[in-house]
Amino acid sequence: MPQQLQWYASTLSHYVGAAVAIVALMWLTNRGLRRLGLRGDAAMGLALVVPWLLGFLIWNAGPIVASLYFSFTDYNVLQAPKVVGLANYEKLISGDPNFWPSVRLTMAYSALTVPIGLVGSVAAAIMLNQGVKGIGLWRTLYYLPAILPAFVTALLWRLMFLPTRGGLVNSATEPIWSLFSDKPPGWFLDRDMLLWGFVIMSFWGVFGANTVIVLAGLKNIPRDLYEAASVDGAGVLARVRHITLPQLSPTLFYLIVMGIIAAVQVFDQPLFIQLPPGSPTFLNVYLYQQGFTLFQMGYASAIAWFMFVIILVLTLAVFRSSTAWVYYESEAKR
Amino acid sequence: MTFREATAEQVGGAAVLVGSTRQGRGGLRKQLRLLPVYILLALGGTFALVPFIWMLSTSLKSQAQLFVFPPEWIPDPVLWSNYAEAWNALPFSAMLMNTIFVTALAMFGELASASLVAYGFARFHFPFRNALFVLMLSTMMLPWVVTLIPSFIIWRVLGQINTYDPLTVGSLFAWGPFYIFLLRQFFQTVSREIEEAAIVDGANSMQVFWHVMLPLVKPVLLAVAVLSFQGNWNNFRGALIYLQQPLERFTMPLGLQFFQASLSNEAPRWHYMMAMSGLMALPIIVLFFLAQRQFIEGIQLGGVKG
Repeated sequence: MPQQLQWYASTLSHYVGAAVAIVALMWLTNRGLRRLGLRGDAAMGLALVVPWLLGFLIWNAGPIVASLYFSFTDYNVLQAPKVVGLANYEKLISGDPNFWPSVRLTMAYSALTVPIGLVGSVAAAIMLNQGVKGIGLWRTLYYLPAILPAFVTALLWRLMFLPTRGGLVNSATEPIWSLFSDKPPGWFLDRDMLLWGFVIMSFWGVFGANTVIVLAGLKNIPRDLYEAASVDGAGVLARVRHITLPQLSPTLFYLIVMGIIAAVQVFDQPLFIQLPPGSPTFLNVYLYQQGFTLFQMGYASAIAWFMFVIILVLTLAVFRSSTAWVYYESEAKR
Repeated sequence: MTFREATAEQVGGAAVLVGSTRQGRGGLRKQLRLLPVYILLALGGTFALVPFIWMLSTSLKSQAQLFVFPPEWIPDPVLWSNYAEAWNALPFSAMLMNTIFVTALAMFGELASASLVAYGFARFHFPFRNALFVLMLSTMMLPWVVTLIPSFIIWRVLGQINTYDPLTVGSLFAWGPFYIFLLRQFFQTVSREIEEAAIVDGANSMQVFWHVMLPLVKPVLLAVAVLSFQGNWNNFRGALIYLQQPLERFTMPLGLQFFQASLSNEAPRWHYMMAMSGLMALPIIVLFFLAQRQFIEGIQLGGVKG
């Protein structure tokens, strides 16, 4: 206990020190800029964003440049980085038999979870929006899985997917799988099935939170649009297609972008689930192993940049396509 | 438009929700027509709920009952003692203290810095304001792995690996762009007149911030606080990268990982793991039932106002 208190005291003193330094810097910014002749309004505004600006420089801008540099070096943390040119990237592209299978697994996972999660939550939200009773209760029920820590979700689904006959999922689905084989499915321990295990688990985790977001988007659609459509004799499907989906598109856009970013970077769940020997793992876990278990920080940085580019390309593609399908009220009015 | 009207419109949830359900209740016939919807919703609800029940059920079983076929939902006997045994298997009391310490500091740091920065972006005109704001939003899309290794090296150079600094001190630098974004949206809805009235009375910017702005955006502040608590309480990644042995130094998430690694080698002791997972999730579950609206609004706002 006294030892713990020492640890706390040390962190607390750094924390307070940093806080005082930031406040002092804000004060100096305000004073300094005013003295330089800036309007009071502008000086105060800049002073207020100082904490973020500092954080951006120290924890974002600096590290981005540094990690790009590390990706061209051989770096084991203990010795200074040694520049090796493109060697890490060459290894990544052609010299590492474990890399591309990991890319494939991660991409397949993202390609499945994002659309499945989206379709599921839109369907659920539309149903909840039909004027059902007890909407607060449903909303709570659906949202519940999203509050669990990702690693608890992972442990829980490992248990549900136990590869034996007594595992909950296997025992519930026995009438189905026993038609095809007499051995129960291995889920996370079966190389061909683990992807589906992850997809189902992630669906369970994000589905409710996304449903709640979509529901809020639905509530924002002006009611008279539907009434006008009814007068014109539009059926349910026509209304969904021509009113609900276009009006909902900004929300869907947000969910797709956030979904891609989260899916490509999935980490906590696979770290808590033992995969069968020889199976590829998810990119982020692979990166973690290379960097923090094998201490190949240079190679790990190259993987990080590879992931960065993937995410950037995917998000840009979504952004580019958005002009074709995302409908903004303000633009239509203009 | 007064502030209250503005928030009701922004939140889009509560107020509109009440109106629409009232309209939707078209009597028994309408409810009957919705029967298929209810059935599908109930199926979805079962899917959401069953794993929770299974977690609870497993946590109360004995080793022998774990793998019986067909699965038992209510174990006989009910072993509440699993919780105490699992708790005492590792120094979880120390880990709980550490987690509370880390969560409290990080949460305070996030709230304080994010609301100051958001106030700056919302209410003041300064050069490059919009460019900086867009820059801030774009950091939301930056994968954490890209900055991970250099950040680790910064903390290493500062000699703070295996301390709580990396999990807490960074929060003072407004590391949550999403929170800044949410708070800024709400500061912008506050009527200028309220602010100007305070300035006429002789208040300076910081007094306006503290006495006028913060109280007015309290609902969003609460939503951010709840999300921030959840994020820091569950912070596994940071703990994994920055904390090492002894076990007394771990936070709960890292302890749980150690726990599952050490328990799953021979006969996996799922009853202990589920008991600990449940305990770990309990504060969040309780908080969720106390502050449901804040949880749900917090995540909704990003999607609807974004």
